[in-house]
Amino acid sequence: MHVLIINASPRVKQYSNTDKILGAFTKGLSEEGATFSQYELSDRRSWDEIRNAYYENDNILIAMPLFVECVPGILMEFLETLKSKNDGTKVSFILQGGFYEASQLRCGETYLEMLAKNLGLEYAGTLVKGGNFGIRLAEGEARDKQVEPFKEMGVEFAREGSFFSPKCKAFAGPELFPLPVRIMVGMAFKFAMPSYFTKASKAFGAKKPLNYRPYK
Amino acid sequence: MIVIVNTTSDEAITDTIKQQLAVCKVEAEIIEASNLNIGHCIGCNYCWLKTPGECAVKDDYEEILKKIVHADQLWVISDTALGFINHKGKNIFDRVIPIITMNLCFKKKEMRHVKRYKKNANVGLIFKGEADGDFLNRWMERVALNLGSKSLGAFKESEVKEALSCMC
Ligand SMILES: Cc1cc2nc3c(=O)[nH]c(=O)nc-3n(C[C@H](O)[C@H](O)[C@H](O)COP(=O)(O)O)c2cc1C
Repeated sequence: MHVLIINASPRVKQYSNTDKILGAFTKGLSEEGATFSQYELSDRRSWDEIRNAYYENDNILIAMPLFVECVPGILMEFLETLKSKNDGTKVSFILQGGFYEASQLRCGETYLEMLAKNLGLEYAGTLVKGGNFGIRLAEGEARDKQVEPFKEMGVEFAREGSFFSPKCKAFAGPELFPLPVRIMVGMAFKFAMPSYFTKASKAFGAKKPLNYRPYK
Repeated sequence: MIVIVNTTSDEAITDTIKQQLAVCKVEAEIIEASNLNIGHCIGCNYCWLKTPGECAVKDDYEEILKKIVHADQLWVISDTALGFINHKGKNIFDRVIPIITMNLCFKKKEMRHVKRYKKNANVGLIFKGEADGDFLNRWMERVALNLGSKSLGAFKESEVKEALSCMC
């Protein structure tokens, strides 16, 4: 099996969470003997090459961050330049977001199924996973640990050729957190996270507080 | 105040809106954005982490953002593509992220970001071309949840009268 992988994050490869996720995922693919080629939409110089690859490959995987509840603007811009295929080409998606609950990704997932149809491609499912914002703030082993579970999904995809298996569906995790968890995590959001975020912000060189209002 | 961003090149829609808003005396900023230089969000997170509230992409969106933070309603007029709004319309929504902060909270059982300003604009969409109206309405509801505001709905170009009834 050969898979054409398109990373649809506008973030440069080095900082892209999707790229780190794909790093683990493709390890799983390779383990099962599948091959792949990976492209980045963030590198506009490669768009012609990606378009050619889109027409030449019959097994396409588009991986992306959720951007305001749907696909990133840059992916729409790229897709708008494509012709629909209608030749049995398969398309699958990895949709990953910052918020943790699976419920946050369902609207985007619904669109991806519509999108496959609108491109004349055969829909082979979406791997949905939230809670990925922190990947870019982590380093080394901590980061590897965060994306590790995606390797297993690469194995599963190489075996099944789609994301329809119960294992892939379960990978999304809980739709919502139960009330006690929301209360606990809510406390952490209120009392612990702001100082952690402020630290991260200082590391970025911020001179203003996180809740600063530049236009008022 | 209402902010209307027209990302299509069809100014007939905004003409109709302008006339009606003058009649009902609603203050509005109408921005013809189809020829403005507005790029996509590059996901740098600087608007949260480095220069809180300010976008690192210095293009024509900055002036629009300054208006959005004072608006009661934000309307985007967009062409459609592949059953959704096209990239020009989507970029207007993706680039609005500076109006929320990085901090988190729970609202209606789901995680949300804490608002940067006291109030965020309610959001509406007018779309031109083929698209699934039910899906766009569902998506707009989700967009509003993320901004901590309300969805005014997604309206076809031919339903601009219905959209206007939300503005007046
Ligand atoms: C403009 C923008 C909008 C986003 N919208 C959402 C969203 O609606 N829901 C969500 O869970 N995460 C959202 N995120 C978070 C990203 O999906 C998340 O951080 C992702 O891991 C980024 O992957 P990347 O580094 O490959 O771009 C958004 C991020 C940006 C920059």
